[in-house]
Amino acid sequence: MTPWIEIIAAFFGTLGFAFLFNIRGSKLWYAALGGMLAWALFLLLAPVVPNEAGRYFIVSVCTTCGAEVMARLLKTPASTFCIIWLLPLVPGGALYYTMTYGLAGEWMLFAEKAVYTIELAVALSLGIVLVTAAVRHLPYFKSKKCPKQAQKTR
Amino acid sequence: MITSQVNQLLSCTLEILQMMLESGAEIYRVEESARRVCQAYGARRADVYATTSNIILSVEVAEDEIKTHTRRIQQIVTDIERMDRLNSLVRRMASERPELSEVRREIEAIKHTPVYSDPVTILFYGITAGAFYVFFGGRSLWGALYGTLIGLCVGVLSILFGRMQTNRFLGRFLCSLFACSAAFAGHGMGLAGDVGFLIIGNIMTLIPGVGLTNSLRDLFAGDSISGALRMIDALILAASIACGYIVTIFLFGGVAG
Repeated sequence: MTPWIEIIAAFFGTLGFAFLFNIRGSKLWYAALGGMLAWALFLLLAPVVPNEAGRYFIVSVCTTCGAEVMARLLKTPASTFCIIWLLPLVPGGALYYTMTYGLAGEWMLFAEKAVYTIELAVALSLGIVLVTAAVRHLPYFKSKKCPKQAQKTR
Repeated sequence: MITSQVNQLLSCTLEILQMMLESGAEIYRVEESARRVCQAYGARRADVYATTSNIILSVEVAEDEIKTHTRRIQQIVTDIERMDRLNSLVRRMASERPELSEVRREIEAIKHTPVYSDPVTILFYGITAGAFYVFFGGRSLWGALYGTLIGLCVGVLSILFGRMQTNRFLGRFLCSLFACSAAFAGHGMGLAGDVGFLIIGNIMTLIPGVGLTNSLRDLFAGDSISGALRMIDALILAASIACGYIVTIFLFGGVAG
């Protein structure tokens, strides 16, 4: 039961953000569905990759790839979907618990949660950054449509 | 190209670049757009340097004709629809080279890109907060409704602070202070099982997630200055949110589990 509630909540959470970021028309639904799928993938991978940071990384890579494909299909900047699809993975909960333990003076738990939060954030962004960096090399293989201007003039 | 045309090209391009940055585009996208547009319109050389706070664009059209203009970027608000339209305009300029007067008209149209009305924005602040209350583990119906209610109020506050041009950090701090205090008050009235989920749900709408992501993208794309600027900005925003929570704890005393 819990996974389904989480997946549905992820749908509405992402949809809400899509409105706040001024996404319009059918893209609203792609945004919300993507957020839902990203979380579903995260839950599905649980038995395969027990480490949460590792799972964050895999989901982040898959989602960013999906966003790049989507961007080419809809001719829109890839960051449109990449950022919004990964919203359910933003470690807001972990961050909150870190703050709570810090304020309560539970330093052991605080340190543990702080490291955990940073791990998640790094895994998430590493996935995005790796895929984005890789994708930017694609035009190089495709054609010489937009050569860097510096090479031309020097 | 005659001088007036060069000026027009520069001002059109800068207008586009400025709007791109202000709607949350990455630096490399902005710089690449500038190069592509200027080259399509016959510039021999176009040098652009963009950061999150200004753009410098220098275009060389002939041996003795080099023009440089700059723009100051004031604030960045994620607006994906606008970014999308600007991106299509840049594509079209690079491939079809429409008349600059037409580009100018297009720019004016993009300036008036529709945004969701205040009630809709407020409503979705609420829905987002409610959804993330459930998402992070809150399971009571009243809790979800109360979380949504707090979210609606945070939406009203955010819009209000935006109107009044309140300092962004102060605005986030006050929103966070309100959300956390309201969560504790609701908990006191027995409306929600766990204060934590109420707060997390509402903090999610305040967290500078896009800023942080873009900061990392810029950093890894080699635009270190912008990446660092965005990072500092996001961290101060996050700290403002944390301060709201800390002050609430001091006001209400102790940490509720």
